[in-house]
Amino acid sequence: MADAQKQQTRSQGKQLNILDRTARWITLPRFIFAATLFFFLTSILFPFYWMISSSFKSRAEISGREPVYIPSEWRLDAYQALFDPESPIGRFGTNIVNSVKVAIPTALIAVILSTLGAYAVARLKFRGKDVLLNSILMVYLFPGVLLIIPLFAMLAQIGAKLGFNVQDNLAVLVVTYLATTLPVALYMLANYFRTIPAEIEQAALIDGCSRMGVIWRITLPLAVPALVSVAIYTFMIAWNEFLYALVFLNSRELFTMPIKINTIYNEPQSIPHVVMAASTLMTLPVVFLFLALERFLTEGLSAGSVKG
Amino acid sequence: MTTTLQNRQSSFAKRWKSLESREGRLAWGLVLPTALIVFGLIIFPAIFSVWISFHDVGLHNLNDVFHAPFVGFDNYSKVFQDFAFKFQGMQSWGAAVTSIVYSFLATILTLVVGLIASLLLNRPFRGRGIARSIFLFPYVAPIVSVAFVWRWILDPRPSGVLNDVLMRLGLIDLPVAFLATRGLALVIAIFFEAWRYFPFAMLMILARLQAIDNTLYEAADVDGASAWQKFRFVTIPELRYVLGALFLLRLMWTFNKFDDIFLLTGGGFGTKVLPVLTYEFSFRLLDFGRGAATAMILLVILVVFMAFYVGIVMRNVDDE
Repeated sequence: MADAQKQQTRSQGKQLNILDRTARWITLPRFIFAATLFFFLTSILFPFYWMISSSFKSRAEISGREPVYIPSEWRLDAYQALFDPESPIGRFGTNIVNSVKVAIPTALIAVILSTLGAYAVARLKFRGKDVLLNSILMVYLFPGVLLIIPLFAMLAQIGAKLGFNVQDNLAVLVVTYLATTLPVALYMLANYFRTIPAEIEQAALIDGCSRMGVIWRITLPLAVPALVSVAIYTFMIAWNEFLYALVFLNSRELFTMPIKINTIYNEPQSIPHVVMAASTLMTLPVVFLFLALERFLTEGLSAGSVKG
Repeated sequence: MTTTLQNRQSSFAKRWKSLESREGRLAWGLVLPTALIVFGLIIFPAIFSVWISFHDVGLHNLNDVFHAPFVGFDNYSKVFQDFAFKFQGMQSWGAAVTSIVYSFLATILTLVVGLIASLLLNRPFRGRGIARSIFLFPYVAPIVSVAFVWRWILDPRPSGVLNDVLMRLGLIDLPVAFLATRGLALVIAIFFEAWRYFPFAMLMILARLQAIDNTLYEAADVDGASAWQKFRFVTIPELRYVLGALFLLRLMWTFNKFDDIFLLTGGGFGTKVLPVLTYEFSFRLLDFGRGAATAMILLVILVVFMAFYVGIVMRNVDDE
């Protein structure tokens, strides 16, 4: 009996102690820190929550008299409308496939071409290197809207001569995406190659390995993190790109996801839940890809740009 | 065969086979695909764009563009006289002024938010790794998705969530059409830009913050500096170069950016920036000459500002 009482007072004392400790722990700087962190996290995460939760709402919930904060059940109305083969806003599967068809070739070709170019820039001496690097850097300066007009006119001419269509041609999109991503990819990779000690390669050259053999057997295996980050970076650019796809694609059958979502949004009857469902399907792969490979990505991102 | 020719041939062959030129050829071979794509699809079009801006190019003669009639500065004067372009008082800024105001304010806000975020993440706390990943979400997510989510959050209908929250808090009495109110729409676009691009600034600043020599802070501690003084006299000077470079880079990209405004407001209600105007001239009115002229004006403004910034502001930073 007495023991139990003692224990109770002891635990009470402990509780008081915890309260006391937290009260003492919360100082003004800590409070400001926690409040700012909370503000950041909510303003970042809420839009993503709103996107995903809205995609599971029904038409009635989406156009009600007040917003529905938590959907009453996981309704798949929006997703059904999105994949409906009959409706013009449906057949989203085709658009997903189109985006994949554009993004994966862009990423693969960009990695291959920029690896070759970056190796030459990082390791070999050649005439015109500085001119080349500076003109490649100019790409940063030109806005997409400036380039799209001459590109459109130019490719229309070439297409007429060689007999291919400029509009509704996914290969044309891949080539234009390569042009916009290759310069950055080249810089990122060249900076990474410079961090690999040249002595290892020289040893292999002395042992009778050819240059291509050196690139394939020595440089590439050591540069895997940079290669992954370039691949993800170019994939994301191609996956997310809007302006060129908007201008170059006319037929719904060939729309990539961004253009399709834009048309769904601009439908006369407003259907935000379908837009949110399509946005969720487009966003989740990118975010998961990013989370899975984040270590490589941030390394590559900051390695390229900030020195001292 | 004469000996001189043989000599010449062998000296050429020697040069051709020399290690240095072999390396040079290999290098050009490796760079060539990238160089061809970049020159063919970026540098040449950029030059071609200057040509188009002085010619009357429309959909009708797109297939025969090289024979388009030369019109001198006609396209430019048409742009300068356009009501969508020129400044006509505070009610209607025109695309040039809107672009400049928007880019400057959005860049500054992006940098400030990025700085705050990087200072937050520079302190050790439990869950910092996860917080850092989450902080990068807005930058990683596709622009189309985030722009439409924000439009949906800002929706003026009763089911719009921000209006509902603000009304419940008693801050407003009636729903506000955030993106359809002149002035407010531009403010929202600026905040959206900062929301989306602060992670980029944050990453760069964070990398620099972590490289600051800790002895500087220890020395400041010995001198009895307060937290604010340490920030003001140690951190900020150390970040000067990163902030300067970030400002230039972000300003350039914001000034050139088309998607964000186009998707968020469609360029309406006082948010028509130069890239959106370029798009409208080219692909709504199908007047490519006028579109190219607008794009050239945009580029000239940008280059003039950059020359000024690099020449004066950056040099002053060096002098200090």
